[in-house]
Amino acid sequence: MYEDKNKLFEQYNRGTHRYGRVACVLTLVMLLSAPFLIGRYLGAMPDLAAFGKGFLAIGLVWLVSCVAEYLVYTPMLGAGGGYLAFITGNLINMKIPCAVNARDIVGVKAGTPENEIISTLSIATSSLVTILVLALGVMLLIPLQPILQSPVLQPAFDNVVPALFGAMAYKYFRRNLDIAVIPFVLMSLLFILVPSLTSSTSFMILPSGGIAILIAWLQYKKKAGAA
Amino acid sequence: MSLLAQLNAPFMYLLCGGIILFVALVCVFFMIRAYRAGKAMGIDTTKMKRVITASATFTLLPSIGILLGVIALSGSLGTPWPWLRLSVIGALHYETQVAEAAAEAVGLQSLSASLMTPTAFSTICLLMSVCIMWGMVFSVFFNKRYLRRLGAGSKSGKPGGGFGDRAMTAMFIGLICAYMGSYIGGFVSGNGLFRCAGSWIPLGVVAVACLSMAGFMWLYEKKNAVWVESFSIAGSMILAMAAAVGLSALA
Repeated sequence: MYEDKNKLFEQYNRGTHRYGRVACVLTLVMLLSAPFLIGRYLGAMPDLAAFGKGFLAIGLVWLVSCVAEYLVYTPMLGAGGGYLAFITGNLINMKIPCAVNARDIVGVKAGTPENEIISTLSIATSSLVTILVLALGVMLLIPLQPILQSPVLQPAFDNVVPALFGAMAYKYFRRNLDIAVIPFVLMSLLFILVPSLTSSTSFMILPSGGIAILIAWLQYKKKAGAA
Repeated sequence: MSLLAQLNAPFMYLLCGGIILFVALVCVFFMIRAYRAGKAMGIDTTKMKRVITASATFTLLPSIGILLGVIALSGSLGTPWPWLRLSVIGALHYETQVAEAAAEAVGLQSLSASLMTPTAFSTICLLMSVCIMWGMVFSVFFNKRYLRRLGAGSKSGKPGGGFGDRAMTAMFIGLICAYMGSYIGGFVSGNGLFRCAGSWIPLGVVAVACLSMAGFMWLYEKKNAVWVESFSIAGSMILAMAAAVGLSALA
């Protein structure tokens, strides 16, 4: 039974990588062709010299960010979830918390076949809901615009991320207070002393996560030594 | 025909909508495959359905936030392109920043429909696409080897009792800590070091979200309201976002 399950999973995983790669390549081709098709439609192709200048100015920073995101988030998402999340985007503010929440609800561990399935289901559902909401929103843009942009509701939509991380913080901090205290205090002090870092919060996830992992590792070693 | 009218023309909707449709089909394909494989591997279908329900409710509110990003960019880039960018590969915090920076890089004073030229638009589109595509590129070339090396796709398939699971949880806690720290820093030093004159609303929202979550967890753990767990995050977010409206009125 155990071997059968492994065999099934291996077969599934091989297929996931194959289909994931094909999907990524096709999406990349479409995304990179679109600006040229638009250029043809507008009668003005992209200015490659300006593109090069722009890439040096902003692209390199995002390249570094993408490398970090890839290295950190791929293990969290697994194969199927990873391919889908990198195709559909919005990782930090949606896909990662969504996959972590799903994993938590059904109680699966990272790196297991169950986690791979749950993560893929979660990211696929999340991506489809976003696509659907955006499609409906675009269709209903004219009647929705005054509601969504009303000054009364603006603070609600400006605070989606604090609302999300506030809820997740309670769930995770109370069970892992020993891991959370030090990075929380250090990050708070850092942002207080260097407030300009607020605009680079996504980059600060790396040191913060690194500290949390180090603490978890020390605890793990201690427990393993005591056992 | 003005440039903005061209950017909102049926051709643009067809092009962007076609790519989004392809990505939606990819998601459906992966979802069905995962569900079938899960069933074949003996994963409880009730659990998988709970994951689907919880992920859908979880995503609704952030998606509306993303829709606001589409609306914000539609004034200068038309509606179809921001719709594509924020449905595929893009990220809310990324798109607005890169669109602004790309506009400056191609010589525009700012990202504005009145200053936009066709060449600037197609160049901005290319820059926005190339700058954030690397996650996908790395996935194509390295995903299999990287996951194998990490043991995530390990052949043993044993429940992850090792450090991997703990490391993932720790990384996520680190992510939350970075955001919490930024809200505290924003309040304490956002308008001058230690002046406590920055915005306190994100902190208030975090507090309400925490309290709401505590309430939902209490219902789940003490009152055995199992149904609550799938909706606890979405419910906490709604309450916290509603509180943001009230807190802003007080501020």
